[in-house]
Amino acid sequence: MKTTRIVEAVLFASETPLTPAEIARASGDLSAKEVEEAIGQLCREYEVEERAFQVYPLGDGYQILSRPEFAPYLERFDSITRTNKLSRAALETLAIIAYRQPVSRLEVEEVRGVSAAGVLRNLQERGLIEVVDRAEGLGRPMLYGTTTKFLDHFGLRTIDDLPGPENLEIALRSGE
Amino acid sequence: MRLPTPVSSQVLEDGDRFLIELERFQGPLDLLLHLIRCQDIDIFDIPIAEITAQFVAAIEHVEQHLTLERAGSFLEMAATLVRIKAQMLLPRRGDLLDDEDPRSELVRRLLEYEVFREVAYSLADAEAERALHRGKGYIEPRPPRRMPELPLELTINELLEVAMSLPAPPEKRPHRAPVRPVTVDEKIELWFKALKRKTRVQFGKFIGRWKTRIHAVMSFLACLELAKRGRVVLRQDRHFGTLWIYPSEDDENS
Repeated sequence: MKTTRIVEAVLFASETPLTPAEIARASGDLSAKEVEEAIGQLCREYEVEERAFQVYPLGDGYQILSRPEFAPYLERFDSITRTNKLSRAALETLAIIAYRQPVSRLEVEEVRGVSAAGVLRNLQERGLIEVVDRAEGLGRPMLYGTTTKFLDHFGLRTIDDLPGPENLEIALRSGE
Repeated sequence: MRLPTPVSSQVLEDGDRFLIELERFQGPLDLLLHLIRCQDIDIFDIPIAEITAQFVAAIEHVEQHLTLERAGSFLEMAATLVRIKAQMLLPRRGDLLDDEDPRSELVRRLLEYEVFREVAYSLADAEAERALHRGKGYIEPRPPRRMPELPLELTINELLEVAMSLPAPPEKRPHRAPVRPVTVDEKIELWFKALKRKTRVQFGKFIGRWKTRIHAVMSFLACLELAKRGRVVLRQDRHFGTLWIYPSEDDENS
């Protein structure tokens, strides 16, 4: 059977992003590279055929999602997970963690000027951040980093895709 | 050296707004940035006395509106501002002339915070954009179909009509199970077994374990057959008396 169709079937059946390596498990003689090529082929097909969905890269995986112009129609149905919009506190905290990771709670609090314990716990429960390391020194504080789910939540492929203002690099440097 | 100027009229008017919407601000840095940006103040030359007065006015009733922890962060910033103001008012000693501006650390923090605040806005945009894409399973599975509600009204004629239209109940037939055949040979075996360690066996007791006639008949035929072969002796004292079966003398000897 054609590789493209096999990859399509696997993507179609999944509710979460799948990495090329995961998709390659579908067939014994399928490599991650071939999967990537098949996904490229699918993207072109869907584009040409003007399908209501497309294969989107999310984190290190891919998922078939509806195109944005169909959102108003889908929203008329009862949805299982209405993606809760994050609060401004959560977004600011995530911004700091995303650019400064691995980062401790104290560093986050210094930047925002307010306590971060509650927000961090919340983000951790939602799986958007995780403890990636422990710092040296007194109490060996936990260091936080962003997760694959974080990338998924914001539709990013890698952490480098993060949106940011022009003067970001200056501010980041001064923070070091 | 400027004396602390009275709170500017604009902010005085806005004072109540700040008070009410203090919860809207993420923290003291957010509020401070707002004060600076909305008045087009040069962030590298903040009129610290003026800003301090505005800041203090805005958070005057902070403890009534915010949790102790959040209120604390605002009060801490107020203290920092007052300290900076004091440092700027103090005459500097000559050897400290080229010392750092007391405001510089605050400016650095404000600019740093502002950058992440901008990133947070970008993230909110990205979040909204991503939310327009829906994956498989977004729409809830269909709920189980409801039974249509039928009206409960019924006339006697309708009921009769339905009753008449019902098919007649199937005729009742007794269920017949196939009966296991009972043979004379089988009974002979059982007679031998019964007589093995006994001097005599009562016929009635022998057949007592089966409740059906066929067993009694076959058992009787079996002992007649055995008597004919000379293997058992039958004795009955009178008509309808107890029938006893004895193993024959020859069998006992063998």
